[in-house]
Amino acid sequence: MNTLEVRNLSKSFGEIRAVDDVSFAVPEGSVFGLIGRNGAGKTTTIRMMMNIYLPDKGEVLLRGNKIGSDFKNLVGYLPEERGLYKKMKVLETLMYFAEIKGKTGPSVEKKALEYLSKFQLSERKNSKIEDLSKGNQQKIQFITTVLHDPDFVILDEPFSGLDPVNTNTLKEIILEMKNRGKVIILSTHLMDFAEKMCDHLAMIEKGKIILEGSLSDIKTRYAQKNVSINYEGSLAFLKSNPIVEKIEDFGNSAGIRLKDARDSRELLKTLVDNDVTITKYALNEISLHEIFVEIAGSRIEGIEKEEAYVK
Amino acid sequence: MLNNKTLAVMKRELREKLFSKSFILMTLLIPVFMFGILMLQTYFISFSGEGKVALQVISASEDMTEKVKSEFDGEDFIKDKSYTIEFKTLEKARLSEYLNKVRQEIVDEKLTGVVYIPLEALKEKKVEYYSKTPNNPKVQDKIKPAINKALSSIYFSGKGFTSSDIKFASDNVGFNGFKVSKESKIQEAGYGNQILSFLFAFLLYFSLLFTGSMMQRSVVQEKNNRIVEILLSSVDSRELMTGKILGSSVTALLQMAIWISPVLILISTTFFVLPPELVLSMSPVYLLYFLVNYFVGLIIFMGLFAAVGAIFDNEQDAQSGMWPIMMLIMVPFFIAISMQTNPGSPLGKVSSIVPFASIIVMPARMAMTDVPLWEVLTSFILNIATMVLVFLLASKIYRVGILMTGKKPKWSEVVQWLRYKY
Repeated sequence: MNTLEVRNLSKSFGEIRAVDDVSFAVPEGSVFGLIGRNGAGKTTTIRMMMNIYLPDKGEVLLRGNKIGSDFKNLVGYLPEERGLYKKMKVLETLMYFAEIKGKTGPSVEKKALEYLSKFQLSERKNSKIEDLSKGNQQKIQFITTVLHDPDFVILDEPFSGLDPVNTNTLKEIILEMKNRGKVIILSTHLMDFAEKMCDHLAMIEKGKIILEGSLSDIKTRYAQKNVSINYEGSLAFLKSNPIVEKIEDFGNSAGIRLKDARDSRELLKTLVDNDVTITKYALNEISLHEIFVEIAGSRIEGIEKEEAYVK
Repeated sequence: MLNNKTLAVMKRELREKLFSKSFILMTLLIPVFMFGILMLQTYFISFSGEGKVALQVISASEDMTEKVKSEFDGEDFIKDKSYTIEFKTLEKARLSEYLNKVRQEIVDEKLTGVVYIPLEALKEKKVEYYSKTPNNPKVQDKIKPAINKALSSIYFSGKGFTSSDIKFASDNVGFNGFKVSKESKIQEAGYGNQILSFLFAFLLYFSLLFTGSMMQRSVVQEKNNRIVEILLSSVDSRELMTGKILGSSVTALLQMAIWISPVLILISTTFFVLPPELVLSMSPVYLLYFLVNYFVGLIIFMGLFAAVGAIFDNEQDAQSGMWPIMMLIMVPFFIAISMQTNPGSPLGKVSSIVPFASIIVMPARMAMTDVPLWEVLTSFILNIATMVLVFLLASKIYRVGILMTGKKPKWSEVVQWLRYKY
């Protein structure tokens, strides 16, 4: 069942159409990835989902009802660019961010202290934020995102600027939230992470959704159509075969593109039936990155560079 | 609009400001500073006139010298030895020779000056004064009455006048000021209210500017370090702005109440006795009006400062964008100051009703003179209307601006923001 549904959202800033007729559905209990490169319209979409921007057109539905400002209390949001009040004390900060989510009282304080001890920050509860290391400030930032026990956690480029230790900490939080049945919406341009963490996703490019669905469906749909073989014999009979879209024959190796990825067994059978000796038959699983490249075209230098940096 | 979230934001602002060192320092130092300025002024004024004034009063005849000396002996400044005067008799013909002799003493300021009273003074009533600073009004004002009395008494003596006739003729006219107001009976007025009017105008001016620039800085900072994005995922931009405005305004109001509380004590108890020239005529209702008016002004100006803060994403740009609003505070302050000499001036009357300006000018005017009730009400209603209008416009600009980063927007773009559907 879909818990959150985005319908035909559009938003322009002056001449620029930041988000153009975007629709997608976030299923209950999922880790949902909103994927696209920088400037594709992810943050604007999220801001409309959070009721920070009013959409020019379209609506966001929470279990069938249009979201209002009380939706904000159900969400924990970790924006890409984030900050804390430097002069405030740690516990004070946590209590304040819970309070503006409508949660106050000793139970919140107890929970805040629990989180602090979980992150080995109990002793710093009365330190000023500015006196904490950058890594510890990031931890405090995570806690503010989840302290009020939101049903939805929206993380906008959550891994940008995190050190490796905190990257893992955040991954753990995400998994733990998922296990407790929370919906996690992850916006990122890092295909690698999305592929590992998300079970559903929507790809956004220049303000438009170019791909949406569950990760397994998408993978099946875009599974590798290219088969590479090493062989002895002749492949001439394949040229007119209906399952083959294109063939590049190099004599003892060849690249074959199928019309449908599901025909790879059929191809193997045809080759054997025609007395071709096969020394290698390779069918690689396609990565999200490759799917993105295939759909979005070749202008992905930015993504490749950043991904290389993360690895 | 005034929900729990707004209150939460407001509480945070209050906590941050009320317990900050700068608030406590400001609250304590401003009165010390103001009092210090007054003390210094008084001290310098008294210092400049008295001290080492050494004069020689030279008359053309023994008679005159005798008379002048006896008049001077009765003066306070001789008795308390702040002036030392030597009396001599010298013919006019020998004066220049004598002056040459004491020239060096005058130049070295060992001798402040030489007053020469010629025989003709009994006809023309003119004396000569030789000094390094002959036009110093302090010295002239001090010695004029005694010389005047001496000359008058010589002139009138033997003409059948009694000594009281002569005294009357030679005495100066004294002015006693009485303040006329509507309610109370006519009472002797001092400078008390004038000083208060100045003080109040200054406090309003200073506090609005100070609180405003703090407000603006805080908005720019939230925008700059991106806290605002997290805040907006929890509260509405209008809730956020309202909370911030109320937080700063309540802080500033409290500070102002502390600053003016001594005045309330002075006018409501008889415990302190002020010298008659400083007596205050003021009712506690005025002080209440003063605070309510200030609160309205705070909300108006904090709205403007918040909007300006939201337009820019760094403090330098915001500083330059603040100018128009600062003018709205500074110009009325200068008008209020200029009104000190004439509270009934047309400029003062008009600007005590015009929105923005009346926030400072009206209380300053009311402290000095009676203002018709309808004028007070009109200015108050206009300010309330201005407050609502400013609040609506500011919250639109704030809403758009607070999430806008990068290029510094043009004013024309800001105007367009008002039409954005956000």
